Order: sequence, then structure tokens, then C-alpha cells
Amino acid sequence: MNTAVATVFIIDDDPAVRDSLSMMIEQEGITVKAFESGQTFLEAYQQECRGCAVIDVRMPGMDGLQLQKEMVNRKVLLPIIFLTGHGDIPMSVGAIKLGAVDFLTKPITREKLLAAIRPALRESEKIIAQVASTEEAKSLLASLTEREHEVMALALAGFPNKEIARRLGISHRTVEIHKSKIMHKTGAINLLDLASIAHEGGFLA
Amino acid sequence: MLFDAAADAMLLVDDTGHVVHANASALQMFDYVENEIVGLDVEALMPSLHRQSHQQYLEKYFNRPEKRPMGKGKNLVALRRDGRKLPVDIGLSPIQTQGQRFVLVTFHVTEKQAQVEESLRTNEERLRLAKLAAGLGIFDYDVKSGVLVCDERMREIEGLAIGDNMTIEQYVSRMHPQERPVAQATLDRATNPNGDGVYKLEYRLKSPPSGTERWVSSVGKVYFEDGEAVRMLGVVQDITEHKMLEKKLQAQRVEMESLAKQQVAIQTASAIAHEINQPLAAISAYSEVALFALGAGDLDTDRLRRSLEGCVTQSQRAGKSLHELLEFLQKGEVTLVPIDLNKVIQKALSITQHNGYGGFHATLDLEPDLPHVLANPLQLQKVLVNILRNGIEAVHNAGVPIAAINVMVRTQADSNMAQVTIQDNGPGLSNETAKRIFEPFFTTKSKGIGMGLAVSRALVEANGGQLWFDPESSTGATFHFTLPLAGT
Repeated sequence: MNTAVATVFIIDDDPAVRDSLSMMIEQEGITVKAFESGQTFLEAYQQECRGCAVIDVRMPGMDGLQLQKEMVNRKVLLPIIFLTGHGDIPMSVGAIKLGAVDFLTKPITREKLLAAIRPALRESEKIIAQVASTEEAKSLLASLTEREHEVMALALAGFPNKEIARRLGISHRTVEIHKSKIMHKTGAINLLDLASIAHEGGFLA
Repeated sequence: MLFDAAADAMLLVDDTGHVVHANASALQMFDYVENEIVGLDVEALMPSLHRQSHQQYLEKYFNRPEKRPMGKGKNLVALRRDGRKLPVDIGLSPIQTQGQRFVLVTFHVTEKQAQVEESLRTNEERLRLAKLAAGLGIFDYDVKSGVLVCDERMREIEGLAIGDNMTIEQYVSRMHPQERPVAQATLDRATNPNGDGVYKLEYRLKSPPSGTERWVSSVGKVYFEDGEAVRMLGVVQDITEHKMLEKKLQAQRVEMESLAKQQVAIQTASAIAHEINQPLAAISAYSEVALFALGAGDLDTDRLRRSLEGCVTQSQRAGKSLHELLEFLQKGEVTLVPIDLNKVIQKALSITQHNGYGGFHATLDLEPDLPHVLANPLQLQKVLVNILRNGIEAVHNAGVPIAAINVMVRTQADSNMAQVTIQDNGPGLSNETAKRIFEPFFTTKSKGIGMGLAVSRALVEANGGQLWFDPESSTGATFHFTLPLAGT
């Protein structure tokens, strides 16, 4: 599977529905992969996959909502569009709380389906960018030494260099050297920038 | 005075039979105060049964006064003021003073008799408590005179005034008019000397203008003498509350049933909606694909053909689903005829072989000379094909290379039924699935509406048999069904 290309994953047990929807989406120049069950989709899914999932709610075995829960458990980050025979409100509320982006009723028109797919694909890109920047921030922070972490924590808490030096029992000059190394390693241009990188990387000051 | 100090009760009686003097024990035993008992005719102190002949005995005694026990060998009884009877031994001693004759009467409540009396009282008390707890009323019906003597509780239940008794006609006329013929017939049967003498009836009382309907349960035992009913002893109980509860439960049951029916209707509608909606969704999408291709000047005939073919196939599929559902929902008249079960099984196997469910290996274990069963041949065939098909599909889906089906037929002599057992060599059913397979619209297949087994069971039951899944079976899935034999 080419994971670099944004793909619409259709998961529906009905072959005719899979086939017709695949043709429809492909006509828009969007890559489609169709699966007959939640299990086969989960087996084929790779962490790098990007795009969105169009999932039938009513399927034998693992149904659409169970699949959604399993995707949440496995940290599958694809936005989900649900297809349902007859819109069931309590069911859709639960699904949306778990992060479904849309709930469409079959038969679905081309217009409505694409109106749901396009923003979902954009959402996916956003999620991927978000994940990437988090990963980057994490790796930047990982390059800091233990002492540099300590200095960063105090600096982000708003203490002046003098106070940091006192608390850590080091000289004022050493604090300045640590700080400059921290800025260099993380590529932060100022303290505010460093704060945002630390937040991104899940660093809790 | 010795007389007063004696432990035994003593009465001094004159020759006219009147009490002249009574000691303290006598007052206590008879429950009288002194000025009441003095001057009393002693006949008042004995059960009425003995009074008539007492005067004779009294005269006889004063003609030949002697010290002797009274009524030797008889069970003598003293009557207390409250009506209780005390078994006693009585001794008589003549006394003559100033030309007047007296007799000193000594009463002795023997130890054994006292015990009997005590246990009698305990039993009576227990009976009274039991009667009270059960709210039982008691009646004693004298068949000859037609009078029903009632106790207080019976009067209360029947709405009689305190102390009132009634005739048997009044008893019946107090019932609701609709109950009377049955009551009369039940009474007639109970008092029939050739019957078992048991009276058992639940009846409504004539409704009071304001009050609610009251129900009474009554049980009696009739006693016969010389081939004639003479007496009936019985109890009655007010069962109004019980009847009301029963009524309420019945109403709840009806409501539950109607809810269940509603549920089935909703399920049916939902299944139909799903079965039709799926092909509609595909048809709609295929059509838009074709339209979009035409609009975009994309004349790729392969794609156009595929989408239009999809429309045709899916329309056909929707129609077929509808027909299948309607067929399942139709409940026509079932005509049962005697048929050769073995032949129908062979036919069903051949239909299944040629119906594209794939090759399978069938083992037949049929009872030779099987008597005909009573069934509808088409329905029976449908049931067989359905179970065979399920089995074969399950085996294929499990990836077992060769499906093998074993069909066994046996007669059950004791119940006059033939039993068919169908076993496959697949993985069998999980407990979860086994519990639900007979539910309408339950299915484990991606294609299929989940009506097969539900309908099969209904069909077998319409044919007078039963269909069930065998959870004990060690290999594959095993189903049994029975059909009644024709010769019965």
C-alpha cells in the first residue's frame, strides 16, 4: 500500500455498495481502498496511512461502532465518516463523541459524499502535520541533557538567571551557557518559542 | 367445713334434683357463683342429651339410695356455664337429715381425662388459629333440612347478619346469577351417593350495588348414610384479592404479548428497510458514476457497462429480497399428508447438490420401512434444504475442504414421532450464536436476512413437530427435528 497518498478507506460488507462508491470516488481522482470487514481493514492498516475512513454502521461481526472503538484503541488517526441505513440519533451521538466527523444516510448522493470526504482529507493532513510537529518537538527535547532540562524548566517557570543559578548551585555564567545550548539544540528563537516547543513535545514544566 | 375444703367438686342436691349447696371447687369447675347455682336444677349441668332420662334415674336413686358411682362404665360429661364439656367421674352418696333426703354428688376430673381435655383444647386452639390465619369460614349443611349452619367468618364472607344461618337455596341465591347453574350442578354432583362426595367451587357473590366483585372459594365433604347424603362440612375462603391479582397479571401478559408483537413488526420493517436500502444505495451510486462519466465526456465503455450492470443486478437483488421476505411472512393454510420422509430427504439432498451450494458428501442413516409421517411435503423440503445449506456454507466458510453432512432418521416409538438428525463437519456454533440462531433476522452471514431457521422452526411446529439445536454435539453443528407419524 502506498501510504504517502491520501486514500479513502471504504469498509462495508456489501460488495455492490463497496464497488459503486469506489468507482464514484475514483472518478474524482482520489485513491480508494475497499474492505469487506473491520478486521480486514485493521490488518491492512499501517500507521503511516493518511486519508479518511468511510464505514458502514451495520455489518455482521464487528459493526461500524465497534470498529471505531478499536481504531481509537489502536490510535488510528483517520477521520471517520459513517454510513447508515436509517439515521439513529443516539447511536450517532455516541459515534460523534468518539470523533466521527460525519454521519451520512444511504443512499448517499455524490455531492454529499464528496462534501464529507474533502474536509475529512484536509483534517487528516492537519492531524498528520500535528503528529509530525509533536514528534519533532519530542526528538528535539530528547537531545537535551538532564541539566539542560532542569535549566529549561526553571527558565520556563519564569525565574531569572540569577535565581536559576542559586537554585541549581551553579554559577550565573554556567546558566547562560546552558541556556544558549538549549536554544541552539531546539532551534528556538526566544523563550516563547521554546515554551511552545516544550508544550508540543509534552514537556511538563 | 370439710365440704368446702374438698379438692373435688361437690354438690348437695335434694330429692327434687335441685342444688342446695355447692363447694368452692364445684363453683370453679362449673364457672358459677354460689347464688346462681343454688336452686338450679342439676339437669342444667349436664348435656341436653342426658336430661330427658335424668328424672327417671333420680327417682330410682332415691328409692334405693346407696353410695355408688353414677352411670358406671359410661363417659359422663359435666356442662360448664360457657358450654364447654368436662369429662368426669361422678360419685353419689345419700345423706338424710331431719327427714329430708339429699344426695352428695362428687365430681372427679381424672388426670387422664384432664390431659385429653387439655390436648383437645390445644388442638381446638390450633385449628382456630389456622382458620383465622387462612381466613376460613366453616359451614355445616344438613341435607335433610336444607339448613346451612355458618360460623362467624362464613357469615362475614357471605354477608349474613350475626347469628344468621341460611338454607341451601339462600346460599345459592347469594351468588352471582351466572354462577348459580354451575353451583347447583356442583352441589347435585357432590350429594350424589354414586359420586365422590367432594364439593369444590369458586364463585362470585351477587355484586353489592356499590362494592367490588367478591370471589369465594369453597371446599366441602359430603357424608352419606344408607346411600343418602345427610351432611356436608365445608370451608369457604374469600379469594377476591387473589382473583384481582390474577386479572392484573393476565392484563400484563396481554400487554407484554402485544409489545412483543410490536417488536417483531419493528424488526421486520427494519430488516426490510435494510434489505432494500442496500441495493438502492448501490444503484444510486452506480447511476451517478455513469452520469458523471457521460458529463465529463469520459466514454470508457467498460466503466459505463460496469455501472449499468450494477444497477440491473442490484434492482434484481432488491426485488428478490422483497419476494423472499413476503414468502416468509405469509402464513398459508397447511395441508398435512402422509409422506415418505426418506424420499423427501433424498430429494432435498439432490436439490441442495444442484443448487450451487457446492459439492458435499452426504451420509444417510435412514431407518428402513419407516412409517409415513404427517407433513406438508413442500414445507418439509424447505426446512431440510435450509438446514443442509446452512451446514454446507458454514463448513465451506470455515475452510474445511470437503463438506460432509450426516442425516439420520429414527422413529420414537414412545411418542409416535419420527426424529431427523442433521450433522455437519464444520466448526459448530459458539454458545453465543447458538442462543440466538432461532431469532428472526439473526444471521452470521454477510448475505442472507436471518429468517431461515426462524421460519424453519415455525414450519416444523406448524407440522406438529419441534426443531432444535443440539448444544451437546461434539463435532460440527447438529440439528434435530421431529414430525408426527401418520398412522396414529
